Amino acid sequence: MIDAGVLRAEWTKFSSIRSTMVLSLATAGVAALLGWLFSSTAAKEYATATAQERLDFQPLDLGMRGMFIVQLLVAALGVLVASSEYGSGTMRASLAAVSGRGRLLAAKCGMTALAALPVSVAAVWLMFVTSQLTLSANGAPSVMPADPAALRLLLLGPLVLTLLALFGLSLGVLLRGTAPAVNVSTAFLLLPVMAGASPGFLRDLIGVYWPSMAALQAVSGKSELPEAVGFGLLAGFVTVLLTGAYVQLKNRDA
Amino acid sequence: MIQLDGLTKRHGDVLAVDDLTFTVRPGLVTGFLGPNGAGKTTTMRMILGLDLPTSGTATINGRAHHELRHPLREVGSMLEAQAVHPRRSAYKHLLYLAQTNAIPDTRVAEVLDLVGLTAVAGRKAGEFSLGMGQRLGIAAALLGDPPVLMLDEPVNGLDPEGVLWIRTLIRGLAAEGRTVLVSSHLMSEMALTADRLVVIGKGRLIAEGDIGDFTEGGAAVVVRTPDAASFARRLELSGAYVQPGGGDELLVTGMTAPDVGRLAAAEGVPLFELAPRRASLEETFMELTRESVEYGVAR
Repeated sequence: MIDAGVLRAEWTKFSSIRSTMVLSLATAGVAALLGWLFSSTAAKEYATATAQERLDFQPLDLGMRGMFIVQLLVAALGVLVASSEYGSGTMRASLAAVSGRGRLLAAKCGMTALAALPVSVAAVWLMFVTSQLTLSANGAPSVMPADPAALRLLLLGPLVLTLLALFGLSLGVLLRGTAPAVNVSTAFLLLPVMAGASPGFLRDLIGVYWPSMAALQAVSGKSELPEAVGFGLLAGFVTVLLTGAYVQLKNRDA
Repeated sequence: MIQLDGLTKRHGDVLAVDDLTFTVRPGLVTGFLGPNGAGKTTTMRMILGLDLPTSGTATINGRAHHELRHPLREVGSMLEAQAVHPRRSAYKHLLYLAQTNAIPDTRVAEVLDLVGLTAVAGRKAGEFSLGMGQRLGIAAALLGDPPVLMLDEPVNGLDPEGVLWIRTLIRGLAAEGRTVLVSSHLMSEMALTADRLVVIGKGRLIAEGDIGDFTEGGAAVVVRTPDAASFARRLELSGAYVQPGGGDELLVTGMTAPDVGRLAAAEGVPLFELAPRRASLEETFMELTRESVEYGVAR
């Protein structure tokens, strides 16, 4: 399905520009930093908390709060795989070299997944390690990786982030530019975070069924939906967007 | 060989390319001429599969671009806009293109050498001068050693040395038996490079033929004689068309130089000068495209 030569070419494109490499490393670095930041705050609150508050203390959720920022960076990484080609005009060179639009998009999907997965694994695991170490060092409860909830997050979290990178890729193709695609992606991903302020019906709808939210909640075990449904909502949504990106790539002048 | 059959591209109400049918043959340099905005670039983009034709077809050696598994090995191209990421090195740019078409990495070094960019292969393309950028574009076009080449305004903005280099290269590629289509809005440049011409205006085919055909139509004879006024009358009586050229000069059309000479001898008219003059390609081109513009306005 994916042409090895075209995939290699995508890797050459990706790795020969500093911004994409910097963004990859920065994502992992930011994840570690946020893990430390949110967990230090949480540990301080724990120190002065009442007995009831201490019982409700959720070391995993508190430590992984920074995920809402990491998801933006990983999605932006996917955006760049497509938008850097449109910004510089190399899309024309790429399409003159790869005549099958589907082959080019498939290779870009493969490239995005191959880049986003290790970055996501590094980000999630680093955030987990720094946050739980910070919590325990400051006398607050922490969880071990073998904890079932933690294990689910460590294994499935990177997959959700990788899907969000593909979401970014499809926006990059559909909107043909870094700025519009990153703006739309950021707005889309942050909307459910801010949905708490909206009226009840809408809040439930966005808080439960919004594709990115549904998947992240499935991973953190907080979803009202069965895990597979939460995960499937995002996977289906990304599939629809990628199909739209393919149709546009095939039918619009480059 | 490149074949266009009824190729048409409509942008809203505007026909950018209007029912173009012509063939670009191998072993020759074919000049693709037209004023700016005539539809040359759009036509080339359709041949490369970048733009979808509204109707009609364009094929490269009998196959449409989307049917080519390794297009760079079939058709090399350089379009006007430089399609290179400014922060990617020349080497990496060519390397990724080579990888898409299963062209060995060693070929990248070969084409860099061919265009004289080996020394700057590691530098970012954004730091290149216009001339170096054109050379990189040519290197990309030659990467797959393709039998068909399409270059859009390759000499635009080049210094005289660069122009000469491209001219020589293009002639050489055609001499190797390749099909070479070169677009330009400058007839004078094509006069020095092309064997055949395809002239378009407002998206329509205006003229097509060997370069010689374009210079014969407007042939004239320049005559200088002290009896200009009376000899002019005598010429007109013999069926020629005469324009006074100022002083003792006459510009004669509709009669060959030998016939003008014979007539002068028979009449005993002394001639100071008798010279056939070919219309320059530039004049022919202006004449051709003026008609296309007038046609467009009348429509």
